[in-house]
Amino acid sequence: MLEFIYQSGWGAFTVLLLFQIPFLLVFLTIVFRKAYVNSEPSGITDADVGKWRGRWLTLVVALFLIINLASIKFIPAVYTARAAAGDVAAIDVTVEAQSWSYDMSAYEFEVGKPVRFNAKSLDTVHGFAVYHPDGDVLFTMMLVPGVSESSLIYTFTEPGTYKVRCLEYCGMAHHDMSDEITVTEASS
Amino acid sequence: MSIANSIVSSVPVFGRMFKVESEPELNDINFWPAAMIMASFLWLSVAVLLGIALPLTQMLGLDASLFYTAITAHGAAMAFPYVFQLMMGVGLHRAGGCVGKPVTGWLPAAAFWLMNIGGILFTIAILMGLKISYAVMYPLPVVGVATGQWSMASVIIGFTGIAGILITVILLYPVQVIKMLFFDKEREELVLNRRKLSDPGMLGMAMAAFVLLIMGSPLLIVASAVLLFLYGIVPFAWIAWAADPMVFQFVFYIFAHNLMEAMAIMVVSAVYATLPLYLADGTRKLYSDKMANLALWILLLTSVTSFFHHFFTMFPALPSALSYHGNIMSYGTGIGAAITIFTVTMTIVKHGLRPEAGVMAVLMGFTLYILDGVSAIITSNIAWSFQLHGTMWQAGHTMAVLIAMSMMWMGVLLHHYPVITGRVLDAASGKWFVILFTVGAMGVNWSFLAAGAAGMPRRFASWDQEGWMVYGYLILLFGLCLALSLLIFLINVSKARRIDTGMAASPAE
Ligand SMILES: [Cu+2]
Repeated sequence: MLEFIYQSGWGAFTVLLLFQIPFLLVFLTIVFRKAYVNSEPSGITDADVGKWRGRWLTLVVALFLIINLASIKFIPAVYTARAAAGDVAAIDVTVEAQSWSYDMSAYEFEVGKPVRFNAKSLDTVHGFAVYHPDGDVLFTMMLVPGVSESSLIYTFTEPGTYKVRCLEYCGMAHHDMSDEITVTEASS
Repeated sequence: MSIANSIVSSVPVFGRMFKVESEPELNDINFWPAAMIMASFLWLSVAVLLGIALPLTQMLGLDASLFYTAITAHGAAMAFPYVFQLMMGVGLHRAGGCVGKPVTGWLPAAAFWLMNIGGILFTIAILMGLKISYAVMYPLPVVGVATGQWSMASVIIGFTGIAGILITVILLYPVQVIKMLFFDKEREELVLNRRKLSDPGMLGMAMAAFVLLIMGSPLLIVASAVLLFLYGIVPFAWIAWAADPMVFQFVFYIFAHNLMEAMAIMVVSAVYATLPLYLADGTRKLYSDKMANLALWILLLTSVTSFFHHFFTMFPALPSALSYHGNIMSYGTGIGAAITIFTVTMTIVKHGLRPEAGVMAVLMGFTLYILDGVSAIITSNIAWSFQLHGTMWQAGHTMAVLIAMSMMWMGVLLHHYPVITGRVLDAASGKWFVILFTVGAMGVNWSFLAAGAAGMPRRFASWDQEGWMVYGYLILLFGLCLALSLLIFLINVSKARRIDTGMAASPAE
């Protein structure tokens, strides 16, 4: 469940709608009623307003805390630090991006083995996004030239062909800047 | 006759929409704003056509370079010569009417010319081949020259145009506002609706001016340094510090992020000023000025450093501590927005609403702004940012915030239109504009966000992969709905009727 919410675009979209739809329904109903149905001033007292204000702000702060705290283990800095401290040593891979292709030190990985992607750009700003075979973005990295490296540790959980794409606009053939990596079953 | 007024009178079609025929004693707060508003709608018309062309180039399988040309021109025209210039025009008129100071002299004139000539120069550069998208991903402009994608001449012309726009946004407009609010002599006849600085309808205007000036100055310095080198005035060694991609990225986003926030603070302030004038019981006050001001202060302070959310995916080049800070500050702006939602809602609940096109446009724009705010805070969470950064989600957010702000400004403009031009608008077509615009804007926004959720990259001339084209059709459909609503708006203003003598324009604000 949390995996779906924080590790896929559609999870983010679900949370988006959970916030947007209640707001839309309540706000538009109030505007419509007070504009077209009954625009008389309501008899709401200052004490009522204060009570509602307290409830509303408590709700907002609580929701903000919950969605951020629940996201912590899905933050790349966090899962990278966790993997680095784990028992299985991460495999280091260097990624060099240059208009409009990637040069990687390895293209094949195994399920369950942590991989540290050390990526950098040799010319302009590029991205390095790895897509799950079903189309979800697993992570994207922004590569700014002159910066030593962007890096994170990712552990693949399913075998398949993963697409790599550049998600930072980098000129006339930006849309052709892509590659593929293969993930195989664990050898043992 | 002033230069501003002759510009407006001499432009065909659009001139008629915004020609000033109001009481002559108000000319000093109407002439330049009318010229800016007129020019902004000219740019909008071009931007809308380019926006419609974007999905079409993909559906017809046209050359990628057409797509990148259109996206660069569309984005640049929407953000600066359209939304910012509209805001500048309506905002300066509002400021003048609130404090009784004229919008005259060289400052507003220079702001008008530099914004529009800058926009034209940038457009020429784009037509010469400069396709850098509207967010300058430095060092792409120079790398593009080195790899033969476009010429150095196009970069020099393009950067000159950008400099004109930046000088207007970062220096001329804020200085004009600060001059009016804190200096200059008041002229009694210009006061339409006196407001003090502590008034929520005025406070945001002052905050926005300072944010632009202070947060934009570093970019102005760095961009000027680069420009001096491009002109061949100084050697590269002198400006190498400014050409460091990290330096440029940071000063650019400290500005660009805060530009959006400043415009949001300003427009929220304009909502606080406009909404009370349409309350059914004639109260003419928000339910609480204190809460309104509190929201503005929270927005101001949290938004300044939330720009780090643009760089989460650079980890570890952006240290985690700064990412956490950016994440928390972004949600802080959400608290400011929550207080604003409460203030607006409670004001309507307590006092009822007169449903006129102006205030309805403001409220629908506000609705879009809050919906967009949700998509913004979701990508400002670090974990989600790593899935959504660089996808259509982000493009949808940028577009939605511009559309929402422009809708609120158009609502505020509908309110001020009779005072500025001396003409009144037809109420029925105003209603259709609001309905179609709202449906179009929500549809476009959800299409973009869904495309982003599906992993579709932004600024990407190859939509026909992974089934993404379906989002393209939705974007085109709702985009046409938006275009139709704007056409209705423009027809409405071009058919406005002269206010009969004796039936004076409502001097209410
Ligand atoms: Cu790239």
